[in-house]
Order: sequence, then structure tokens, then C-alpha cells
Amino acid sequence: KMAAAAAGSLRRAGWRLHLTLLASLSVLRCQLSVPQRALQASAVLRRVSDEQHKEPLASSSQQHFDSHPTDQQPEQEPQGPRPSSTGQGGQESEDYESEEQLQHRILTAALEFVPEHGWTAEAIAEGAKTLGLSAASAGMFRNDGSELILHFVSQCNTKLTELLEQEQKQVQLGEAEKKPLDQFLRDAVEARLRMLIPYIEKWPQALSVLLLPHNIPASLSLLTSMIDDIWHYAGDQSTDFNWYTRRAVLTGVYNTTELVMMQDSSPDFEDTWRFLENRVTDAMNMGNTANKVQSTGEALVQGLMGAAVTVSNAETRR
Amino acid sequence: GGINKPVIERIIRVDHAGEYGANRIYAGQMAVLGRSSVGPVIQQMWNQEKDHLKKFNDLMVAYRVRPTVLLPFWNVAGFVLGAGSALLGRKGAMACTVAVEESISDHYNSQIRTLVEEDPEKYKELLQVF
Repeated sequence: KMAAAAAGSLRRAGWRLHLTLLASLSVLRCQLSVPQRALQASAVLRRVSDEQHKEPLASSSQQHFDSHPTDQQPEQEPQGPRPSSTGQGGQESEDYESEEQLQHRILTAALEFVPEHGWTAEAIAEGAKTLGLSAASAGMFRNDGSELILHFVSQCNTKLTELLEQEQKQVQLGEAEKKPLDQFLRDAVEARLRMLIPYIEKWPQALSVLLLPHNIPASLSLLTSMIDDIWHYAGDQSTDFNWYTRRAVLTGVYNTTELVMMQDSSPDFEDTWRFLENRVTDAMNMGNTANKVQSTGEALVQGLMGAAVTVSNAETRR
Repeated sequence: GGINKPVIERIIRVDHAGEYGANRIYAGQMAVLGRSSVGPVIQQMWNQEKDHLKKFNDLMVAYRVRPTVLLPFWNVAGFVLGAGSALLGRKGAMACTVAVEESISDHYNSQIRTLVEEDPEKYKELLQVF
């Protein structure tokens, strides 16, 4: 029965692959008009009025995921709406904790209880209790554990960014060798997936919750910004369509590897890492095929243009 | 306060698309008129555009802005417009170029106004590019 439930979750998770591939190829961020993260809805509304932000709600939430200032500070708490890149907004006074900060603390505390209780209100209640709060605090959140899971994903993404930032510094200081691209991608994806290990039993459940319609904008947004981060630190500087193909491909690699990991019982998930290695190799080779297709296209166009020029020259000479 | 990221991103993305398109227009014109007497003139104008495009490529990477998803479309559309106008003869090519440059100029001017209205100091660096 458990196997069937897990399989069901995995099948739904498989849809995420299709969704992400589709989304990556469409105008992704523009069309995710308002990532309604239940956790932040009220806080965001408060912020928007505070800042007299001319931009509509959409872009204020949107910029939140694009908030990598050029001086590259590591993201601290990506889940809080961060209008900090537009100025004052949200300067909490020292002696007062916002509702949002409190919610973050509760959710972080709740993670400890996930292996036992799953991504549920029970886990949140236990977490609240360790902070000396009433178990009824779990009432602040939805019943399906959405916020808890999104909070966890966001935390993992932050940890990954910090790790990549640190590695980058080491390379810049000459303390470490710059990794070849395939190695870099493999290590980044592995590092991120390893963060799931303590929760792996309950992760299929989390995956299916992330696929619920009301969570998709938020979960997709977290996924795409994580993938964008990895490419950024990998040194991607594409300004053409490659920008999209690279991210779509890596998203595919990440998602398939994650699914494999759910069914992997080998020691230290060595099967998963081998799968990952093969997928990354495929991705590297894909680049070559794409180039060949492009050159054929260009050759065709040039042939047509040549024909047109010949005709027009013939015309002018008459 | 910090810079208004969504506005910057849109500006960079749109301008990059425009410069990219302009490059493709000149490429199309060169394909037709490259060997005529007006070829060198077009080539020179194209070289200037290549410079502009490079500037926006750099900005795009620095501000981590994604390029427009319509690039493949601009690739073809620009080239066809350039080639098409050139097939009308050199006057057609020049008319096309003038029209494109004028509209780019208007467009940049209004973007400059937007940035300056908000805060000239914050956007000094970007304004210098314009």
C-alpha cells in the first residue's frame, strides 16, 4: 500500500518534469504573476503599502527571486519578501519580531519532527512546542504542510547558494582549482540533493504537495531560481537562447535525479550519483548536437539569401 | 535605498532585444547590398551596432537579467526586414535604417527619463551607458 502511495507521488512528481520543461521554455517569470506563498501573503501586502512601491504586487514578489545584487551578497532568508533591493521597506525594529519571522522560527523548529510525523500540522505543533509556544500555533498554517515544505526547500536553496559562493571565493583566492563544467554541475546537484537525505522517507509526500495547483507558482519559482543560481556560479554568461536551453536541461537533470533518489536503496545513494553523472554527460553532449542543428539552419538561410541576392543583382543589371 | 530591480531588468532585456534585432537588420542588409557601393557604409553602421550589443550583453551578465525568450524570432524577423528593405534598393535600405535608429533613439530617451525621474544618482552607471 505504501509502495502504491509512493508510486502515485512519484508519478505526479514526474509531471513536474513536464511542467518545468514547458515553463522553462515559456516566458516564465513574467507569467508567474503573483507567486502566492501562503506564508507571505499578508506580509507582502503590508510591505507593499509601506514602501509606496509604484510597481504592482506582481513584480514586488517577483523581484524577490531575482534579488542578487551585483555585489553578490549571499541570500540570507529568501523566503521573506525582500523589498530590500528597492529600499527601506521592511526594516523591522529590533525589539519586535514580525509574524513572519516567528513563522520561520516555528517551521525551522518543526523540521526536526518531520521524519517522525511527516510534513504535517503535527510536526509544526511539535516544533511550536519546542519554542515554548502552544501547539495551537500550528493553526497559523495550512493543513497540508505546504508552508513547511516550501520553507524547507527555500532553506536548502539558501544553503546551496552559500556553499557555491564559498567555493567561488576559494577559487578566486587560489585556494582551490576551478572545476570543469560537468564536475561543477554534478557536485552542485549532488550537494543540493543530499540535503534531502534526513527527510528522504517523507520526501515523496512533499513532492506531491509541491505539485498541488496552489503551490506550483511558489515551488516552480524556487526550482528555477535554484537552477539559475547553479548556472550563475558555473560561470554561465549566455545572453542568447542558450540561457533557456541550459536551464531547461539542468532542471531536467535535477528532477530526474531526484526521482531516482527516491527509489534508490544503494549504499550512500551511489546509484543515484552514477545516474547523475550519466545525465550530466548527456547534457554536455547535447550542446554539440544543438550546434550542428544550428549550423545547418544557418547554411540553409544563407543559401536562400544567396538566391535572393542573385535575383536582385540580375534585376538591377537589366 | 537600492535600485528598482524589475525596472532595470525590463530595460536591459528590451534594449538587448532591440540591439540584437538591429544587428540582424544590418546583417540582412549586408547579405543583399554587401557587394554594392553602399556596402562599406552599411558595414560601418553594423560595426557600431555590434558595439552596442556587446554593451548590453555585458550589462545582462552583470545584472543577471534573462534574455527575452523571443530572441529566435528577432533573429529571423530582423534579418528578413534588413534583407527585404535592401532588396528595394539602397534608398529602401537607408530608409529602414533611419526609421530604426529614430525609434531606438526615442525609446532610449524615454528610458533615460524614467530612470532620471526615479533617481539619477542610483542609476548613474546605467545612464552613462545611454
